[in-house]
Amino acid sequence: MDEAAFRHLYDRTARPLRAYLMRSCGDLALADDLLQEAYLRMLRSGFEGEDDDHRKNYLFRIATNLLRDHFRRKRSESDEVPERDESPGHDQAIHMRSDVGGAMAELAPRDRQMLWLAYVEGASHQEIARALGLRTASIRSMLFRARQRLAKQLQARGLRPELEVS
Amino acid sequence: MNTKPCSYEDAVTAAVRSGNWSPELKAHRDGCLVCAELTLVVAALASDAEELDAIDTPLPDPAPIWLRAQLASRERQYHRATRAIVWVQRAAVAITLGIGLAFVPGLWNLVKETFSSLDLSSPVANLPRAAGSPLLVIVVSMLVLGGLALWELTAQEN
Repeated sequence: MDEAAFRHLYDRTARPLRAYLMRSCGDLALADDLLQEAYLRMLRSGFEGEDDDHRKNYLFRIATNLLRDHFRRKRSESDEVPERDESPGHDQAIHMRSDVGGAMAELAPRDRQMLWLAYVEGASHQEIARALGLRTASIRSMLFRARQRLAKQLQARGLRPELEVS
Repeated sequence: MNTKPCSYEDAVTAAVRSGNWSPELKAHRDGCLVCAELTLVVAALASDAEELDAIDTPLPDPAPIWLRAQLASRERQYHRATRAIVWVQRAAVAITLGIGLAFVPGLWNLVKETFSSLDLSSPVANLPRAAGSPLLVIVVSMLVLGGLALWELTAQEN
């Protein structure tokens, strides 16, 4: 991939990728770090892909792995250090500007990622399974449960299904 | 009201995204808890994605990412290119040590013989035969070259 092709891919994919990272980790600065790392890993891997969609899927997969590493590291840090860092910028203080952001913050990271990939990125069950390292057969039911949890959170914030549609 | 996955989910998802609801699908959604929840979730996430897409904070500059990738790639190429040289150096050191150990007793005798019969005042033609032994020349050369390779190798690793 040459620099022009990379810039084209970046222009096309960086915003949706950052939105995914930000909604998953809740911190813009961290999302930007992970975003840069995702592109760097893609370039280092020498992955060419068949088309932009293929490359985009690959980027989302790398980003999901980076998020998984981040949450794993955070978990082991909080095991070692009893006091959790509750300062803004960490995902407990996740982007509360919107009701949706607040509702998403109440979900487990995997639920957030799954819902975003399915309903914002329009990823297939197979693509979600590959990105999250799960079995394709389990995605349907996991997605169903994650959706129920998010709907419950949204409803608790005053959003109702009928309000969204008309 | 349905509480298990519904067969209309794909159609409902597509309708929320496009905004095109057929009367039948709308009627189904109004009577199906799963599809009503799905509608809420898909619409909420879509508006959230729009909101996130519109945030003012600029994206990180892609130029440093490209540059870092290029540097990493060159470093990898350098390591790949020098790997063969390092292996040759290691092999030279190993062979030298092997030869050195195999010939130490004989070599020691040759050196002793050479020095004991050495007459510094005599011409080169009168040097002891052992001094011109091909074995001695080969072993000494190997030791010198092996030593150089070892020095080069340790200098690189440091």
